[in-house]
This record gives sequence, structure tokens and C-alpha cells, in this order.
Amino acid sequence: MNIKTSHIVKTYNQKKVLHLDGQYGELFFESGQIHGIIGPNGSGKTTLMKIIAGLIAPSSGTIRYNDHPLCQDIFSQMTYSTHTPTLFSRSVYENIAYPLKIRNYEKDRLNQTVSQLLEEFDISEIKNQNARRLSGGESQKTALARALSFSPQVLFLDEPTANIDPKSIQLIETALKKRNQDQGLTIIIITHNLSQAFRICTHLTFLDQGSCLFSDTPEKIMTSTHPTIDEFISFNRF
Amino acid sequence: MDYILNGFVEAFRLIFSFDPEIIQIVLLSLFVSFSSTLYGTLIGVPLGVILGINNFRGKKVVSRLLYTFMSFPPVIIGLFTALFLARSGPFGQFQLMYTPTAMIIAQTILVTPVIMGIVFNHASTSGYEVVQTGKTLGAQGLNILILLVLELKGVIMIALVTGFGRAISEVGAVMIVGGNIRDFTRVMTTFIAMNNNMGQYSVSIAMGLILMTISFITNSVLYHFIMGDQNEYQD
Ligand SMILES: Nc1ncnc2c1ncn2[C@@H]1O[C@H](COP(=O)(O)OP(=O)(O)OP(=O)(O)O)[C@@H](O)[C@H]1O
Ligand SMILES: [Mg+2]
Repeated sequence: MNIKTSHIVKTYNQKKVLHLDGQYGELFFESGQIHGIIGPNGSGKTTLMKIIAGLIAPSSGTIRYNDHPLCQDIFSQMTYSTHTPTLFSRSVYENIAYPLKIRNYEKDRLNQTVSQLLEEFDISEIKNQNARRLSGGESQKTALARALSFSPQVLFLDEPTANIDPKSIQLIETALKKRNQDQGLTIIIITHNLSQAFRICTHLTFLDQGSCLFSDTPEKIMTSTHPTIDEFISFNRF
Repeated sequence: MDYILNGFVEAFRLIFSFDPEIIQIVLLSLFVSFSSTLYGTLIGVPLGVILGINNFRGKKVVSRLLYTFMSFPPVIIGLFTALFLARSGPFGQFQLMYTPTAMIIAQTILVTPVIMGIVFNHASTSGYEVVQTGKTLGAQGLNILILLVLELKGVIMIALVTGFGRAISEVGAVMIVGGNIRDFTRVMTTFIAMNNNMGQYSVSIAMGLILMTISFITNSVLYHFIMGDQNEYQD
């Protein structure tokens, strides 16, 4: 799904936390790509993501999905997951099965889909555990498996690998890249891990103090001469 | 001081004599309060959930009204119900005054705001996250409501027991609309009040003990349900 935003502004208590104008007043999230959103704390990344995902309304500006405004049909093809997910108070298995149950999947197909995801995310062992009592990393993997279960077209991820061990990070990145390549899943991901952004993203958007300073391919950001971006990148180099 | 000790001795004798009158009073109390809690739940849980998760103008007023009604004195609610049910009142033709039905109606009015208020409060806070998450996974309408009720299960249980506790222990409302008629509308609390007035402390103490035991049992059952839920999920 192609997503295009145009002159989005978000104001909280008269304070503009997001105002996209000028050169990057219009942002284009092309279908089938992995888009990274990066930038310092409080720059408006989460706010922008929630607006695009249709979870909060912008104060002004428009968003078009395949050239249509948001409707229930489009909304139900997108999903959203964060590093502090809200899991339901039921087993890990039931959490992952939830989107399939409400879509009336037949039993065999449901079991098969859930089992594959449990396997893929290495959480088979905890499938009967109540999801409210998982470790941080286990919660994140469960939430991601749940988000992917119904094969959405667009996946929004807010720092999905924060506080996750290196092996699990690799597992998650592999899962994301696989779905992007095999099913053309469009992914929009916020990350503070710049090397991760370079590993998986095909497009990067840089936010700072509610403004967009860059939106292009990862190669181009390395040659950016903008002092804020330059500083941000040099801090991440180690 | 002797009369207190004697009261307790007499109380145990009464309890274990299984007096049919006492048994009938206990059963009526349970029936009336369970019924009103049930109706209060059927009204209060869905309304509390729906009002809680939606943002609308006047939500603050609604919550203030709810909290006020939660602590309304039972006598006032009894009086209010009586005005409507009395022979000359708007529902006088149904002749409900001084019947168990009138008591159930009054107690339903009493417990509905309690149940609704507790559910409303939690639905407004933790319910919001659940609704957002449900929506991002494709849930709509009835599915969202079911999800929310399941997620708020523990809170709903607490609301239920709080409502039941308020119903079974109040005396003002059932006294006014029930009238404490022997073998018909006499319940534990009106029985205690009456015997106390007549100076029969031991009988009052006996019934008081029974009332406390029942409260203890309901609370233990609740504790079991909620704490059982905290244990690891078992298939
Ligand atoms: N509901 C809200 N009410 C008021 N202010 C808000 C609200 N949500 C976000 N903000 C403010 O908007 C700004 C941008 O927040 P946002 O969460 O989008 O930042 P972020 O780029 O995701 O930061 P981080 O990297 O720390 O997650 C912050 O200054 C924040 O305080
Ligand atoms: Mg954020």
C-alpha cells in the first residue's frame, strides 16, 4: 500500500510537536519497502507513526492510502506493534490466534499459522503461559507474531527490538525481511539502532523537533551535510 | 457486660438449631441481593464499559454523577423507590410496595451505580489500551466489547462483590419498600434492626454472625477467582 502524507501538523496543548512542511512537507511511503523513521527522543516519530497508522488524528494535513482517505477496509489491513505491547490476559498461543479468530479462520488453518509463528519466533516453549507475565523480549516477540498472524499489508513498528538480545534481534529482522520479500509487506519502523536501520531499511526519514530533515535512501543520508543529521550519525558510529 | 457473652452463647445455639424462620430469612436476603446484583451487573457492566472507553463531552460530569450515586444513602433510595411504587405513585397499579420485588428494584437502583462506577473507572484507563490494540488487530464492534469484558474480568468480579456487599448489608432501602413483614419481606438486616429495638440482643448477634459469615464466603470466592487468575495459565 502506498501511503502519502501531506503537510501534517500535530499540536498538543498549543505546542506543535509535529509540523511537516517545506521540502519534506509531503512524505511518500512506497508500497513494498521497509521505511525507517529515525531521530532524537521527542522528535515526533511515535506521533507521526500513530497518525499514519490511523490511531490518532492530525491537527491538520492529510494522509492518502493508495490515493484513498482512511476507511475501515484500509485500516484493517494495517497493524501496529511497539516495544511495550499490550498483550491480552490469556495464553501466548491465544494472543497470536486472536486476529485469526475474529476473522473466522477455520481451526486447522488457524492452528497451522499459529504453530509456524511460535516456531519462527522461538516462543513455542511459552505458548501456554499467560502473556501478561512474560519477560520484555518474550512480550515483544509475541506481539510481533500476533501482528503478523493475519498477513497485514502494512506493519507499523515502534522500536520493536529495544531491549532485545542480539540473537532475537537477528531472528526478528530475518522474519521482517522474509515477509517483505515474499509477501511484499510494507514495513514502517522506528528505531534508535542506526546499524539496524542500515541493515533492513530501504528508505529513511529523519525527524528532528517535529520537522523532517531528510527522507530518501540510506546511502544518501551518509552524504547529508545537515549538521543535526551529521551529529546524529557520528554519535551512532562505534 | 454479661448480656454480650450470653448473646454469643445464645447466638450459636440459634444458629445450630436451624430454625426454619431464620433459614427463610437468610434465603430471602440472598435471593433479593443476588437478584439485584445480577440486574445491576446486566445494566452496569455494559454501560460502564461503553461510557468508559468512549471520549465524549460531559464525561467528567458522568463520572462525578456516578461517584455521587455510588455513595447515596440506601434510605434515600428506598424513599425514592417507594414514591414511585406507592399505591398513589406512577407505578402504583402494579401493587409492588411491600413485596420482595420492590426490594429487588430498590437494591438494583442501589448497586447499579456501584458496579457501573468501578467498571467505568477501569475501562477509562486500562480499557483504552486494550481497545486500541484490539482495533489494530482488526476487531470491531461486538468483538471489542467481548475482548474488553474478558480483559476486565477481574475488575468486574470486584465490582460484583462490592455491589453484592452493599446490597446484602443495607437496611434502609429494604426496610422502607419491604416493610419487614414476617415470612414475606423480612431479611437479615431488618431482622437485626427489629430485634435490637426489642432488646433481643442474642438473636441480633446470631443473625449478625450469619451475615458476616456470608460476606466472608463471598469474599473468599472472589479472592479465589482473582488470585486463581494470577497463576500461570494452564491448559
Ligand atoms: N498525548 C500527548 N500529550 C502531550 N504531549 C505529547 C503527547 N504525545 C506526545 N507528546 C509530545 O510530543 C513530542 C513528540 O513525542 P513522540 O512520542 O512522537 O516522540 P518520539 O520521537 O517518538 O520520541 P522517542 O524517541 O523518545 O520515543 C514530545 O515532546 C512529547 O512530549
Ligand atoms: Mg517514540
